[in-house]
Amino acid sequence: MTGLAFGDFMDGGSARVQRVALRLDPPEHPMDLELALPDGTATLRWPLSDIRHLVDQAEPGAVVLTRSQHPMQRLITDDAELIATLSDLAPDYSAPLPAPGMVKRLLGLGTAAVASVALIIFVLIPVMADQLAAMLPASGERALGDSTLEQIREALSDNDLFPIRTCQQPDGLAALAKMQARLEPATDFPYPIRLHVFDHEMVNAFALPGGHIILFRGLLEDAKSPEEIAGVLAHEMGHVEHRDPSRLALRSAGSIGVLGLLLGDFAGGTIVLFLAEQLISANHSRAAEAGADDYAHDVLSQSGLPTTPLADFFQRLYDEYGEETGLISHLASHPNLAGRADAARDADQTGGAYETVLSDAEWQAMRRMCR
Amino acid sequence: MSIQALDTTTAGSRKRLFGLAFRSSLLTVVTLGIYRFWMKTRLRRFYWSAIRPGGVPLEYTGTGVEKLMGFLVAVVVMAFYIGVFNLILMFVSFSLLNDNFAAYAMSFVGVIPIYFYARYRARRYILARTRWRGIRFGIEPAAWAYAWRAMLHWLATLATLGLLLPRQIFWLEKFRVDRTWFGTARFQQNGNWKMLLPIAWPYYLGILSSLILIGLGFANPLWLFGLVPSVAIAGFGLIHLSVQSFRVLGAAKRLDGNIAFRAAPSTWRVLRIYLFGNLFAGFILAIGAAITVFLFFVFAALLSPDLTGTGPVAQVAQSLTDFTQAGLIALGILGYFSFFIFWGVLGQIFVTLPLLHHYAETLMIENSHLLTRIQQRDRDAFSEAEGFAEALDIGAAI
Repeated sequence: MTGLAFGDFMDGGSARVQRVALRLDPPEHPMDLELALPDGTATLRWPLSDIRHLVDQAEPGAVVLTRSQHPMQRLITDDAELIATLSDLAPDYSAPLPAPGMVKRLLGLGTAAVASVALIIFVLIPVMADQLAAMLPASGERALGDSTLEQIREALSDNDLFPIRTCQQPDGLAALAKMQARLEPATDFPYPIRLHVFDHEMVNAFALPGGHIILFRGLLEDAKSPEEIAGVLAHEMGHVEHRDPSRLALRSAGSIGVLGLLLGDFAGGTIVLFLAEQLISANHSRAAEAGADDYAHDVLSQSGLPTTPLADFFQRLYDEYGEETGLISHLASHPNLAGRADAARDADQTGGAYETVLSDAEWQAMRRMCR
Repeated sequence: MSIQALDTTTAGSRKRLFGLAFRSSLLTVVTLGIYRFWMKTRLRRFYWSAIRPGGVPLEYTGTGVEKLMGFLVAVVVMAFYIGVFNLILMFVSFSLLNDNFAAYAMSFVGVIPIYFYARYRARRYILARTRWRGIRFGIEPAAWAYAWRAMLHWLATLATLGLLLPRQIFWLEKFRVDRTWFGTARFQQNGNWKMLLPIAWPYYLGILSSLILIGLGFANPLWLFGLVPSVAIAGFGLIHLSVQSFRVLGAAKRLDGNIAFRAAPSTWRVLRIYLFGNLFAGFILAIGAAITVFLFFVFAALLSPDLTGTGPVAQVAQSLTDFTQAGLIALGILGYFSFFIFWGVLGQIFVTLPLLHHYAETLMIENSHLLTRIQQRDRDAFSEAEGFAEALDIGAAI
């Protein structure tokens, strides 16, 4: 390049803009870009190896140049020939400006952030939820259960407009009430147990805060005897007694806000689904399940009912699904089904002689209550 | 009085912006949203450099890495706040009131101060990463002071049914401007809130006529039909107020005592850009969507065994059924994301860029010879960037 080009120079120290004459390849310093300041007194040299240009600029006809050694300085030129030559000759013309240590810091910070969020979701919120659930008054538990029941009915439904149907056939309801009346004297709840049957094919049952217990049509159809249902019911009563559903609901309430934060606004629907999934699959701890089982064994024995049918039911689930399943069913999603079946079998105090919980006609009415 | 005045020129074509916005949007989708920090950075570099007061472009020096880091920090703080706070609220609400409405309401109220806090922090970050003539801008840290002032102003505005909005606009602007620096020089917002009253009359007309109509509506509900034009007037008034306050407040700003500003944005022009820009973007998007849906059905029909009957074609089609299913689903997902990408990109080129150009090209700096006295200021490290604003999903445009 032979002729003179011009540019605007800013030294990064003051807001002054100086018009400079630019010369590439001056004879005595061949690898420099020479900037002659307007007063003619001083000349700056930018080594070509040092020159970078700013990217993503709106004006295609001009470039903003800077130096990696002096990153505050700016030189703006619109001389097409100079720009073309520089982009050819300056080796790091398009390299990003150096930002030392950023990647390492990012990795550290990223790991810390993920760990902290995990700690909040998996440790802090559960621990707090467990403490608070124990302190929640009975009326608060009931209100919590009422509001979640509706959300779950909506989430389980295929149709957005109508929540899932609860089965209301009167003979079936009467049979259900009879079963409840048989077990209830052995329990001591601050609120009445409220039973619901959902018209859904999943073999499942779960409890909500405040004494709601939900049985699924699939469970009624799968069971071989009313005593199996009584066993499942007693197990869910155990969860109610130990406030496991309240714990779970409070835990979800905490996690939901965090999830919403991470997933963003558009995932609002996903969050509600997540809540419902949590409560339906009722991933209680192993200890909570064992506690509910023990409670069930006591209630069944005090009501003069056998625990062997509950064992049979667990055994059947185990044969069907194995220990670990991906199925969203509270009853089947727990490990140690075989062990729990054994425990239930050992707990039986009736010796096979007992007054059946339902008559055959009542049992059939219960199984058909969703038709 | 002005010895020397600088005009502002603008740069940047739609075509150039389209390439940048489209490529970075695509990368954002491919990286499941992680690239959005870099996308924002690159778009800002473009937009900043499109504004050239005195022929020297603004420069944005923020980086994607610091935005990602800031976001991570903010997510941790917000996860703690939202998780623990929501849990306690839920507990208290159910224990005392047997209902969760109070919890939801409180949870919303609890985010409001963070919203204003985040807005101020985002401004601080953006100014700290903006340079002109090689000199950094900056704003003093005062996010909580800003948050509670902003909330009180909003309360006053809401309590007076919107009548005090000009006062709120002025005082919040003054709070921000009086703490803003260009290098060693300080900005200053002069004047008082009453100078916004002359540009607030369409807004007041809309509000007062709406209130009167609602009052009359108690006597005869037919009056309520009058709300259609009166609310429209209030809406126009709001836009007029916000556009013209840029001019009025701009004229009363000073930098380093005597450097003054002039801006003359036109409300009608802004309205036109919004209206036609969005219409045009929507029109292009509708055509694109129609073509995509058409292709989708052609694809589906060609590969569907039902439509091709028996014979070798049907056999080939049958073997392709699984592939077809997967292909159609993939095409559907692709279409869904493309829709949002294109909407965003078209919005950038037909609304954001023209608006920016319009505001910028009316801007003048008077007594610009005084700028040479201004020296550089120290770097505001501020590693948190605009993480809180990102986490709360505010300040979405650029």
